[in-house]
Amino acid sequence: MADLSKVGTEYSPIIWEVERGKIRELAKAIGDPNPIYLDKEAAIAEGYKDTPAPPTFLVVPMMWCDKMPAIINDLKINFMMVLHGEEEYEYYQQIYPGDIITGTPRVINIEEKESKSGSKMDMVTLEVRYKNQMGEDVAKARSLIIERK
Amino acid sequence: MTQELFYEDIHVGDDMPELVKGPLQKLQHVMYAGASGDFNPLHTDDDFARAVGMKNGVIAHGMLIMGFVGQAITGWVPKKYLKKFGVRFSGMTKPGSTISITGKVLDKRVENGENIIFCEVVARDENEDVKIIGHFEASLPNRD
Repeated sequence: MADLSKVGTEYSPIIWEVERGKIRELAKAIGDPNPIYLDKEAAIAEGYKDTPAPPTFLVVPMMWCDKMPAIINDLKINFMMVLHGEEEYEYYQQIYPGDIITGTPRVINIEEKESKSGSKMDMVTLEVRYKNQMGEDVAKARSLIIERK
Repeated sequence: MTQELFYEDIHVGDDMPELVKGPLQKLQHVMYAGASGDFNPLHTDDDFARAVGMKNGVIAHGMLIMGFVGQAITGWVPKKYLKKFGVRFSGMTKPGSTISITGKVLDKRVENGENIIFCEVVARDENEDVKIIGHFEASLPNRD
């Protein structure tokens, strides 16, 4: 059972320096051949400053900083029973190599729901707002995490 | 190169170009684990996956499938115009699956001086089982 008293909790920030190689690695793992993610010159030719982060890049700071497991642990959720229900991003500007992004995770909502089959689930909504080294908003990520019981 | 896309050229009901990915290999799960930092063994270790109830072994990271959808979107709409992108994960994906990503323009509107298109995206496997249903919004330039 997720700890319902944790709604509103804000966690210590994720701080992540964005590397060109990590952007390329994610594009390669997805199998996305779009040259804007792989080649700086190609990106510049299409109006970018450098290779931009792909749309799902914010998974990288979240997972590599071990933040998601730490939050799941703090919420007293059984990691073995976790499903990823939804993921949503709002983009305010591009994320480029050399940017240092700081994300502040916050628990937005926790509720219990019953599935069609009658089993109970806890639904946890987590939001992370990311700023860059200039203090500008770059993106917002929202994740729905489901704990099966 | 992603073709430039103008607001005037998009109509409600237009289809996004389909993208077909796969068949998925376990090696890709390993690559995605390393790239994303998500090392949950459910995606890379068949023995572990079976022990937690996955009869056929490992399943793909949901975020990998979302990555495919992101590839489909930014292969059509330049990344710099993408404003919002959200998905619901509705099914697990096994190795060997072939994933097709399709999309459709549901709405277009001018809002606060921006030319917004709102689209639905769906990822399905070769059996038409839905893996992801999502939406995105992009802000497109005018032709002139």
